[in-house]
Amino acid sequence: MLERATVQNTRIFKKCIALILCICMSGISTAQRERDTSRTSTRQDAIAFISRITELPQSAHWPNIKPALFLQNLKNNIENPLSLHEGNNTNFCAYAAMSYIPLQFDPLGFAKDLLQLYREGKVKMGRVNITPSSEVKLAAGRLAFKGELDIRPADQMWFLALADHFKCYLNIFDKHFDMGDENSFWAATSFGKFNHMIRSLFRYRVEAKGSDLIRPTIDHLYGYLKERVSKGTVALFVNNMSLYQKDHRQVKPGVGTHFIILKDIEEAPDGRINITYWDYGGLTLQQVTPSFLYRLIFGITFCTKRTANAPQ
Amino acid sequence: MRRNRPVYILCLVVPAFLLFACRSSRKLTADYYYENEAALTSIEKAYASLYKQRPFSVEFIDKGFNYVSLMLQSNRIKYIYEFELNEPRLQDTLARYQMDSAAIMKMIRQMKDIQCVWINNLDYYVDEQKRSMIFMSLRTVPPRIPFAEKKYYILTFFNQPQFFDNQGRLLANRRQRRLRKIDDNFFQRINDRVCYTISERFR
Repeated sequence: MLERATVQNTRIFKKCIALILCICMSGISTAQRERDTSRTSTRQDAIAFISRITELPQSAHWPNIKPALFLQNLKNNIENPLSLHEGNNTNFCAYAAMSYIPLQFDPLGFAKDLLQLYREGKVKMGRVNITPSSEVKLAAGRLAFKGELDIRPADQMWFLALADHFKCYLNIFDKHFDMGDENSFWAATSFGKFNHMIRSLFRYRVEAKGSDLIRPTIDHLYGYLKERVSKGTVALFVNNMSLYQKDHRQVKPGVGTHFIILKDIEEAPDGRINITYWDYGGLTLQQVTPSFLYRLIFGITFCTKRTANAPQ
Repeated sequence: MRRNRPVYILCLVVPAFLLFACRSSRKLTADYYYENEAALTSIEKAYASLYKQRPFSVEFIDKGFNYVSLMLQSNRIKYIYEFELNEPRLQDTLARYQMDSAAIMKMIRQMKDIQCVWINNLDYYVDEQKRSMIFMSLRTVPPRIPFAEKKYYILTFFNQPQFFDNQGRLLANRRQRRLRKIDDNFFQRINDRVCYTISERFR
């Protein structure tokens, strides 16, 4: 009798477990379905969309951005996505590097989102509602002495809105925007924040190796990067003082400070490595030694599109 | 009296030292330009002429001025290579990119003689119009100011006369009284087309 009761209890227990698992699994699959696709569109779609906009009224939200310049900037970004420029001496490199993804794979969505941000002063992208502060809205279009960024008001708006919305531990002591903060910790981005932005804005699958202070431990760095570049978008978190030498100090802070997009990597016959990367509005092919490459990289972000049928 | 002699010496030496340190660095730096004007303008003119053939920049990457980093710009991509100054690979590369290797090598040697770390062409914007200047960084700050942290003497050569305030500081344009920043530095007038600053970084 006792034995039969135990067997019955076990059956009920198993059914309960199965039921709970079913509910959980259905929840997961529903959640996955909701966030399982990254938006995609073509450059032609985006160009056609922009060419249909004949008149854009001055936005009340962004008083210092002229509509004609805004549209011209947007058009430039779509037609020549690699020309996107973070500006000289700003901390916008992360936002520019991250924008590579929508400009390459969903230019129409990017154009629509930026237009909505300009017209309405806010936008929902991915899981994020971006509602910039009034200080940022006044500053966009007024940033000066930043080189190419001076004549790109739409990019100023986009970078300032992102820096205003996304915060990490680097921004703790400077959360409020004042003019000039584009060069300061207010706009700084940690490796974690960079990856979080890509996941939440563009719904990409992101695999990250490395950190702000400690380099990733990868046995065969060249082989690893070569394989990753062939399969998806690779962003590198590098030490800017090494990539762009600014002084002759022997001791330099060993931290990641700059984001670039790795486009290609090749081994030269003499053992050096040719890296082709995108930053500051253009492509660069730089020849480096394997040891320099190791010292340079603090983080590797590998991004791939989420598709409905992709294995999770 | 004899016991106090070091104190008296210190009393004389320290103020003299401080007086030297407080000399107007502005005048000294402008003088440095005029003392070396021939060499500096020769490099600037050579660079401007060569740049028209193909955009490029040259940087000395070591303190001994033995290694250079060469940036060559094509329509689509820019190439960055490092060479030892006497390495045949350097001239081979210049020839491969169809550049006047003799003229560039001469300019690089002139740069080494005057300790010019970096020469580059920088774009800037005035009233939404693109303009360019030549940006030249020199290793040594001309007046050896004691304890000076700033190590690089930077010169900018503009194509057209610039506007300055009454203290000789470079302005953004004629209408705005706003100071212009280049690479995060404010600049002082040497003449209508040439400005300088002293910086911790050469770019």
